[in-house]
Amino acid sequence: MNPFASSAALDMQGQFSTQDTHMYSVILPTYNERKNLPIIVWLLAKMFADNQLAWEIIVVDDASPDGTQEIARQLATTYGEDKIILKPRAGKLGLGTAYIHGLNFVRGDFVIIMDADFSHHPKFIPQFIQQQKAHNFDIVTGTRYRSSAAPSLANAKPGGVHGWDLKRKLVSRGANFLAATVLNPGVSDLTGSFRLYKRSVLQHIISVTQSKGYVFQMEMMVRAKALGYTVGEVPITFVDRLYGESKLGADEIVSYGKGVWGLFVGV
Amino acid sequence: MTRAQRIAVISTILTALYLLAFFEILQVPLVEGAVVQEILPVLPWWLLVSFGSYSLWSLGWGLLTFRDCPEAYEELLAEISQAKNELRSRGVTVD
Repeated sequence: MNPFASSAALDMQGQFSTQDTHMYSVILPTYNERKNLPIIVWLLAKMFADNQLAWEIIVVDDASPDGTQEIARQLATTYGEDKIILKPRAGKLGLGTAYIHGLNFVRGDFVIIMDADFSHHPKFIPQFIQQQKAHNFDIVTGTRYRSSAAPSLANAKPGGVHGWDLKRKLVSRGANFLAATVLNPGVSDLTGSFRLYKRSVLQHIISVTQSKGYVFQMEMMVRAKALGYTVGEVPITFVDRLYGESKLGADEIVSYGKGVWGLFVGV
Repeated sequence: MTRAQRIAVISTILTALYLLAFFEILQVPLVEGAVVQEILPVLPWWLLVSFGSYSLWSLGWGLLTFRDCPEAYEELLAEISQAKNELRSRGVTVD
């Protein structure tokens, strides 16, 4: 008989129920996501099961008043306490600290960060993983602006956005052009927040990042490049504001400009 | 060194070189004096206009190639209703 299939050999080699021996942790910061959380968890669970990957989701809830934590507990009962891990916090403390908090409980070797409001679709995560494996990237980021992956990936579909009118697209392109000229980050989508990181890389970058809000996402990418980490890109489709209109005020534009300047002189 | 400091140093050096050539303290190699005198005064404006036209082209091209993805939206809506049904059958409260 095949000696490699004997029980002794199998005991020594180990038996893996997944074809990929890595574990993927998703950190989901939530605030009033009672409606969205179960569905995003369902989408993630389905995607991980279809691709036979070991996974966990860490829900970092900032004391949502709408009962998000109760939904998270129901999901933990449905999918398993080891798969859906709820780590609540006392109040609305911000995105960066939510990731730091979640990182303390991550058991996987890769961490995926994404939004919980359906703008990021879990179906792209297998492509992120594929891209990461192909070139051993430290970070793989989703980009809304490219139609092909960088470096190329055979089954990548073009990226895009749904729900933006021409004005919003112009603002977005302008902002990206400004950031690309001033900061030269090496990625086509600097403000995107759908990324796959190696756990050690995320821990390192987060410990040196200082900004708050969505400038935080930009700073992480700029710092990653400055520290010499390798970044790959995969095009993603971004469905903005599933319910309602997408608005961008003048204050946000000003604070974005300030954020870019801050990164220019700070990194 | 931050990016700002690097760029400040490089632009200071380049500006100094340009001014030295402009005031004829340094000679520009390989190019005749008369040609240099005609080109150097307009060089900064040329750089500015080139950058402006590049930016305009980049923005216009970006706008033209910005893809819409209605199929992603439809697919997502279908998945959401499928998810709601399945989750309700498994005992999770879905609004």
